[in-house]
Amino acid sequence: MKDPYEVLHISSTASDEEVKKAYRELARKYHPDNYHDNPLADLAQEKMKEINEAYATINRMREGRSGGAAASSGYDRGYSSHSSDPMLQQARAAVARGNIAYAERLLDEARERSAEWYFLKGGICFRRGWMDEALRYIQTACQMEPGNQEYRQALEMLQGSGYRPSKYDVYSTNCGGLEMCCAQLACMSGGCYICPCFCI
Amino acid sequence: MYGYVRPAMDRLSGEERELFQAAYCGLCRAMGRRYGQWSRVLLNYDFTFLAILLSPATDRSCRRCPAVCFQARWGLEGDKALDLAADCTVLLAWWQLQDSVADDSPLGGLPSRLLSQTLRRAYRTAAAARPAFDAAVQAQLARLAALERAGCASLDQPADAFAQLLAGVAEEVEDPVGRRVLCQLFYHLGRWVYLADAADDLAKDAARGRYNPLIGRFGLGDGRWTPEAKEVLGRTMDLSIRQMAAAFELWDFGPWAGIIRATLYQGLYAVGHSVLEGDFHKRRPRRGRKEQI
Repeated sequence: MKDPYEVLHISSTASDEEVKKAYRELARKYHPDNYHDNPLADLAQEKMKEINEAYATINRMREGRSGGAAASSGYDRGYSSHSSDPMLQQARAAVARGNIAYAERLLDEARERSAEWYFLKGGICFRRGWMDEALRYIQTACQMEPGNQEYRQALEMLQGSGYRPSKYDVYSTNCGGLEMCCAQLACMSGGCYICPCFCI
Repeated sequence: MYGYVRPAMDRLSGEERELFQAAYCGLCRAMGRRYGQWSRVLLNYDFTFLAILLSPATDRSCRRCPAVCFQARWGLEGDKALDLAADCTVLLAWWQLQDSVADDSPLGGLPSRLLSQTLRRAYRTAAAARPAFDAAVQAQLARLAALERAGCASLDQPADAFAQLLAGVAEEVEDPVGRRVLCQLFYHLGRWVYLADAADDLAKDAARGRYNPLIGRFGLGDGRWTPEAKEVLGRTMDLSIRQMAAAFELWDFGPWAGIIRATLYQGLYAVGHSVLEGDFHKRRPRRGRKEQI
């Protein structure tokens, strides 16, 4: 097993506050929201697991507790499925497994193009790296069902600023790349790791 | 690949600036050594970034460089990754030259044709060294040409062809995890470069009646931007940068991490904005390209 302090990139003499800060920074970096529908999500999950274990081990060592605080800290949120249509449910499962071609075939066969269909199509495009079309499909899903929390969260994730190292401000191509975007300050100050995720 | 990919220099420490210069000079030397002096004209920041992402080593040596009046310059040495970056540079640049030769008028395409003749031997050597990558580049460029002929109005489809093409570089990486990380990083780097180039060429392409995905996607037949088109394009370019950054955080890039971070968390946003505002070329350094890094 790796040295838990090495995993968190801190020295063994770090204060409790420094340990917590290092953990939070890394957890923000590898949070599932940053890797949702990402082909590298499994690597991020491994990192997240390693960080959680290291934090729990340090806590145990320092406080003599059994069980880690980090393991139940809320960063390991699972993904849910909400589909009522069996074919869309199958497509959801296929996207979650990373079987994009199969999921797309199922969606192409669907007769009805519901809000969920557009949402799933957006998820497929996102995973493939087709960001322009992903955003348009998710926007359509949101327009068709404005009250749907899941679609709205997906749209917020696509429009959010994602993880940034603490030294870097929030930059965007439209805001000039040299100054902080006011519209994204809320996301940054709240920490994007608490933003809702794209649930498929 | 057009020199868009560069770090925010003010974010780099003195040591990182030297490393960046060493990567640039190291790739330049590797190209000169493998493909002759003429091939060095193909070098730009994009290919330097490619070398940085591929190269685990930082061994350097000091030599005099003819491009900067024979001043001494440190450059990376003897790295297999530099050879790979040099091979990929020649292959990518060669096929882009062929594209220019086919697209331009007989007179306008003359410089591309002359350079193409000069580099024919370099291309043959590179194609023999990396046949799989050469075949992948040709296949994706053929796909791109078909989409262009069909006047494809999607941004993602032509960008995907160029992105897949660049992702092919990662297939040459031995470590399986590193290969996956680089594949994702190169994919979105290719997508971002393609979109930045489309934005850069919008007015020129519209005036000459040439294909540009932005014309079909946003209805910009007159080559003039609308605020909405800029907003949407900027947002989709941001998404690719974020995907690159997410991939970068999953692999240990060692001493290169600071340079990559300064590129992915700031540099690309600044360049993208500059391209969208039409002042990217106005901001070109006044001094020689080599001197300014």
